Amino acid sequence: MPKPEPKLITFEIDGREVQAPEGQMLVDAAKMGDVEIPYFCYEAKLGQPVGACRMCLVEVEGIPKLQTSCSTPVKDGMVVNTKSDRVKQAQNAIVEFLLVNHPLDCPVCDKGGECPLQDISYGWGPGRSRFIEPKRHFEKPVALSPLVAIDRERCILCYRCVRFSQELSEDYQLVFLERADHTFVGTHDGHPYVAPFSGNIIELCPVGALTSQAYRFRARPWDIEDAGSICTLCPSQCNVKYTTRDDNKVVRVLARDNEDVDDGWLCDKGRFGYQAIHVPERVTRPMVRDGGELRPVSWERALSEAAGALARAGDRTAALVGGEATNEDGFLTQHLLRGVLDSPHVDSRTSGVLDPQQQAVLAQPDLTAKVSDIEWAGTVLVLDTELVDESPILDLRVRKGVRRNGLNVIVATSRPSTLDTNARALLRFAPGAGEALLAALAAAVSGQGDLEDLSGRAGTSAEILRGAAELLQEPGPVVVLWGERLSQGERGRQAVARLIDLARQLNLSGTEGAGLLEVPRGTNARGLREVGCVPALGPGLDTATRAGKSAGEIAASVPGEVSALLLVGADPLTTHPDRGMWERALDRATSVIAFADFVTEGLDEHADVVFPAESEAEKDGTMTHPDGRIQRVRQAIARPGEVRPQWSVLAELCERLGNPTGLLSGAMVSERVFESVPFYEGITLAEIGGKGVRWQERDGAARLPRVELPVGELEIPPRATAEGLRLGTGPSIWSNRVVEHSPLLRFLLPEQVVELSPEDGERLGLRTGDQVSVSVDGTSVSGRAFLRSDMPPGNVFLIEGTRTDNATALLNGKPRSIELLRAEETSPA
Amino acid sequence: MTDSPRGNGRSLRESDPLLADRIVGTPEQQAAARPAVAAGWDEPADIEKAPATIPDLSEVEVPPALKAEIEAHMAKYPNVRSAALPSLEAAQRVHGWCSPEALRQVAAVMRVTPAYLSMLATFYDMLNTEPVGRHYVYVCTSVSCHLRNAQALAEAMKAAKQEGDDVNVREFECLGACDMAPMANVDGRFIGPIDPSEAPEVLAALREGRTPLPGRGLGDEGFRLPWEGES
Amino acid sequence: MAVQEVRVLLDNIDEPGLNHIDTYERLGGYQAMRKALTEMEPDEVLAALENSGLRGRGGAGFSMGKKASFLPKGSMDKYLCCNADESEPGTFKDRLLMQKNPHRLIEGIIIAAIAAGANKAFIYIRGEYVLQADVLDAAVREAYDKGYLGQNILGSRNDVDLVVHRGAGAYICGEETALLDSLEGKRGNPRLKPPFPANQGLYNGPTLINNVETLNNVPLVIAKGVDWFKQFGTEQSTGTKVVSVSGNVQRPGNYEIALGIPARDLVYGLAGGPPPGRKIKCWFPGGSSAPVLLEEDLDRPYSFEAMAEAGSMLGSGAIIVVDDSVPIVSVALRLAQFYRHESCGKCVPCREGTNWTVKMLERIDTGDATPMDLEIMAQVQTNIIGNCLCVLGDSMAMPIGSMIEKFRDEFVEHIERAREAKDRLSVELGTYAEPADAVA
Ligand SMILES: Cc1cc2nc3c(=O)[nH]c(=O)nc-3n(C[C@H](O)[C@H](O)[C@H](O)COP(=O)(O)O)c2cc1C
Ligand code: SF4
Ligand code: FES
Repeated sequence: MPKPEPKLITFEIDGREVQAPEGQMLVDAAKMGDVEIPYFCYEAKLGQPVGACRMCLVEVEGIPKLQTSCSTPVKDGMVVNTKSDRVKQAQNAIVEFLLVNHPLDCPVCDKGGECPLQDISYGWGPGRSRFIEPKRHFEKPVALSPLVAIDRERCILCYRCVRFSQELSEDYQLVFLERADHTFVGTHDGHPYVAPFSGNIIELCPVGALTSQAYRFRARPWDIEDAGSICTLCPSQCNVKYTTRDDNKVVRVLARDNEDVDDGWLCDKGRFGYQAIHVPERVTRPMVRDGGELRPVSWERALSEAAGALARAGDRTAALVGGEATNEDGFLTQHLLRGVLDSPHVDSRTSGVLDPQQQAVLAQPDLTAKVSDIEWAGTVLVLDTELVDESPILDLRVRKGVRRNGLNVIVATSRPSTLDTNARALLRFAPGAGEALLAALAAAVSGQGDLEDLSGRAGTSAEILRGAAELLQEPGPVVVLWGERLSQGERGRQAVARLIDLARQLNLSGTEGAGLLEVPRGTNARGLREVGCVPALGPGLDTATRAGKSAGEIAASVPGEVSALLLVGADPLTTHPDRGMWERALDRATSVIAFADFVTEGLDEHADVVFPAESEAEKDGTMTHPDGRIQRVRQAIARPGEVRPQWSVLAELCERLGNPTGLLSGAMVSERVFESVPFYEGITLAEIGGKGVRWQERDGAARLPRVELPVGELEIPPRATAEGLRLGTGPSIWSNRVVEHSPLLRFLLPEQVVELSPEDGERLGLRTGDQVSVSVDGTSVSGRAFLRSDMPPGNVFLIEGTRTDNATALLNGKPRSIELLRAEETSPA
Repeated sequence: MTDSPRGNGRSLRESDPLLADRIVGTPEQQAAARPAVAAGWDEPADIEKAPATIPDLSEVEVPPALKAEIEAHMAKYPNVRSAALPSLEAAQRVHGWCSPEALRQVAAVMRVTPAYLSMLATFYDMLNTEPVGRHYVYVCTSVSCHLRNAQALAEAMKAAKQEGDDVNVREFECLGACDMAPMANVDGRFIGPIDPSEAPEVLAALREGRTPLPGRGLGDEGFRLPWEGES
Repeated sequence: MAVQEVRVLLDNIDEPGLNHIDTYERLGGYQAMRKALTEMEPDEVLAALENSGLRGRGGAGFSMGKKASFLPKGSMDKYLCCNADESEPGTFKDRLLMQKNPHRLIEGIIIAAIAAGANKAFIYIRGEYVLQADVLDAAVREAYDKGYLGQNILGSRNDVDLVVHRGAGAYICGEETALLDSLEGKRGNPRLKPPFPANQGLYNGPTLINNVETLNNVPLVIAKGVDWFKQFGTEQSTGTKVVSVSGNVQRPGNYEIALGIPARDLVYGLAGGPPPGRKIKCWFPGGSSAPVLLEEDLDRPYSFEAMAEAGSMLGSGAIIVVDDSVPIVSVALRLAQFYRHESCGKCVPCREGTNWTVKMLERIDTGDATPMDLEIMAQVQTNIIGNCLCVLGDSMAMPIGSMIEKFRDEFVEHIERAREAKDRLSVELGTYAEPADAVA
């Protein structure tokens, strides 16, 4: 459904002529005339109004009954009165009714000072209660989950939290129970409300009924400050507000509504992960290996050891840049390698090789969709990615599009997706057969090529593909949300070629509101590529003078080829495929230098120098959203201990290696980045401001060379193996180090789960809950079996990034089949 | 409605007992207040439990007859969720009440969350989220019946209930039988007018598997109100 | 004084086997459907219904034909919902009609559906009506077997599917939009209007909602004609009405009368009046949601307009008689308790207002109230009226308000006597304390 153009109308409110977009609800339209109408249950973000609280009643000329302004769209010439005696009496009545069962414990309430009920009672209430019967009394806050507490005395049953659970995140775990004046908010059978987005209900609650277990009693509204930044934990890059105390402690994270990015929602990882900032195990001092152990040392010692090691290694240095690095850190890292050490080996991707031509094509402004295109598209193709795990906030955006605008969704994933229930078409293909699927889909769209054969190669059916192709050809722009996974396999290049070919057939670059939107692995994956953190590309996607090794090639390099390894927030043992090979590579390296906020297993064993890394709340810099929006990461609290800005450490290393950068401040580094990336040119931090700017929408975009979508013969994709069980893997939203280190989130840390179809389970004599071990040529990991009815037979799925039994151990960039899958002798009761 | 994402589904207690104690009290304190389908106002969530997401059919044993009936209901409506009430009614017939397990079974077949069903089961008066008895005696005590001494009948019925009777005796709002007042709805059979002195007979009949007060039920052969026919 | 019923809806009601399709057809059943299908255009049917002046029998009394004509034309799925939730205290007419003569309802549904262009019909019957629901299920099966329901009815291009849907115990599900939510498998919460069901009702499709008795009238109007129908009743209240009379009368029951006869004929003539030696204190003319009237109002004609004029309403057409042996406070309390229990809990004034009212009435009864509480209670009722999402709140506030207004002295006296009694008792028990309100 195309985005409608709002037309302005004029209406009268309290004697004032006011202009507002036609159809806007009166509560909102009133604000245009500085008229405030009190309300509780209305929240535009929650969709259709419910009209439950009755607080927003107003008089509309020509309608005998008072109307709820939350559900009354403004019309031209409408005459509204919000101050008449009738309205006043109604408002008094509602406030009095609300306070009938609301405790007056504001002085000890977390919401005190920022509470709509408090404010509205003063502003619109009768100022007295004639209710003398005993109020309801219940246990004061009880746990609703490990993250959220509920105080049912304070609840005014406004429907906001349950609507979020039911209609926004659609997890449908939080509901109203009982009826009439017994109604209360709860869950089934006392189960905790645990879901990826549960924390949003805390911000939605208009009273102090829902509170954060982490924030409760930590602070009162008047001794805190808010600092805007973005969440750096996943590519969604949600805009956040850090609530800080005494300039050195983050006590809460709130959403900072940006409809071009997050629509005002956060996932629980982003909302509660801040706790990991203030834990004792955090690295806050430089360390070097001394007598086989990492020991805290002075900056001077750490810097000189690092500089020494790099000097010795010279062009045999390689750098891995982690996805959470800023553009500035990434830029300086590749400068250190290419410019100072004369080494081309820098990569920010975990596997696969980027083809420069393809990258230039994918970066074309008119081929990239922006986040808000999703909800207004005609059809969205979710391709080889599980949004809730890999970019959670986009999952909410897709649901919004379906709910509000009748968006068609095609889910093309190997593993059953949480979006399946919202999908018009499901394309289940063999893990790793994305290339074949795209080829088949293109054939179905164009009617050329051997659809039967290609769909067979993809391990799916021509019939379903035809259905999907029809949806793709329905009117309305098409947005393809594709997972980076697609481009990472050994045939990543061919898969991307197929993706681009489909884009050409659907004319995505020629259609307003259509395009590709990558769901990368790393938060700042796009920015890091654009500032030159890929082997083949320098800053600005310029083909590098000397192509370096990709991450995989670095790991596979023969002894002596790579002697120093620089890990900038990267941890190959948890994030990169083929864990075994990486262990050998780290062993081989004569020196390993890392920037890290926590000492991981890999660092503990292999690192020679560890520089303390800033946490997301201590950083200054910029990141580039997958849709090209450049956003600011802003420091909210002082850096603890001896933590220094990462850019200054990198600059220091350049200097010690005889190549001073002349950079004196974070802002200067940003400027240097903007100068060095042609299509970023002219951008300033001020221009980026709080909401960010998409570089494609600036004149600078013209500096990216225009390239046409290639036409030409494409290879026939290989056939997905039919025999045995195919292995599929993917990360969990919770496989992240901040989950591991935040006391309240830790319980969500995933343990390995082996998902397979009931048929296969039957055959192998397995039942849900059995402890099983999965082996792929020699290497095996173990986990809990889960037989899911919606799993196509022949596939087995494991989780990437678990602390133990990480599925990455089984990967090597090729489609893999499982040799052995059996119950372990020691099955726990 | 969505399934839970990957790797989620462990309880806090499993992973961090100490924190669990801090947040919801020790297992002992928890056991003291074990929530029911609708955990009460005062109940904390039970951190022992994993979140109640849509149960997978491969994890839930559903009696085949019940499964078939639910699926038949689902087929009747343009939107399967309309089948929720009839399906809960069916599950209650099988399980005697809308127990957590009963709801899980319906949820697994209908592909909805258990919470979606407890939300309904606790709203409607005829669905029981506690094991109150397989039989029921609803005594109407709304205005019209109230005017004809329904309170006395209600008390008499409650008094007549004996230890071990598998009967839910309760006052009920207007049953649409004010002409029969005072009356009771016994397992769907409207009986009235009933004299309080007849209450023990009604419960005895239920106890012994007989039809209570034969001929006195609406729809019984030749049923008439005492004053009908006379004028 | 012998008053005669006018049995039009209740004709043959005691005929054995009337609930079976062949008996019903032998007595002329399904002729109206044939006529509507073969001899009339949908618009003619709508016109006939509108001209007949038939008004809704479920409570609101809106013109049946008009409402049916509000549904937009077009090929989308459209729905008809028969409201058989009959839960209004004092009302039991639909029960009789469904149990004894299910096929006339089905015939009415088929005609109305086709006229309004609806292809999917539902009967939402309250779960407590087990017997009646079983009867309907059987009848629907018979109608399907005869080809009166399903695809291409009587070879025409009309399809009507009919499902009997059982509720599970909630008065609010009688409210038309709550009914829709409940039928969609949700909690029975009323919806905001607009949008109105005619445009966006069940599954967001255009939907016509009518009461059982309303739909029972449809075959009569079509078979016997508008003029025949209008011979009964008054200008603004045409036709007959099955009136449920209950409470303190000697012969409670359903009586069918032509609208407009004096209420006294119903209450005394047909229902036998209050027990010997008793006088009528007040009566509800249209179910428990209707403001109460006094004995002298019995001489008013029993019609929509006259009851409205008297400051009450005909509502569901159910008369509840209260005699002078009953304290008005106990009636008010039972009533308030009913609405508190049945409030869906969605909107604030109803949820909290019913709850507050009950608590005040309980205090009045236990001697913990003062006349001032009576004022507050009266104001609480005005604060509810007009401020709720649906009219359940008003349905308590209006009758309670009318009782306070009409029996103020009895309330005050009740308050005083209860206080004295309580003080006496507490003095005897040695637990005397300042009355609650003195503390507050
Ligand atoms: C609280 C409440 C309960 C109601 N209960 C019923 C009912 O049980 N049966 C009924 O037919 N109408 C009931 N109504 C009226 C319906 O909302 C609706 O007006 C009626 O079913 C329309 O049908 P009609 O036009 O044929 O009367 C109720 C209304 C309210 C506000
Ligand atoms: S008035 Fe009562 S029943 Fe109606 S919506 Fe409000 S709470 Fe629900
Ligand atoms: S905001 Fe309008 S009813 Fe609550």
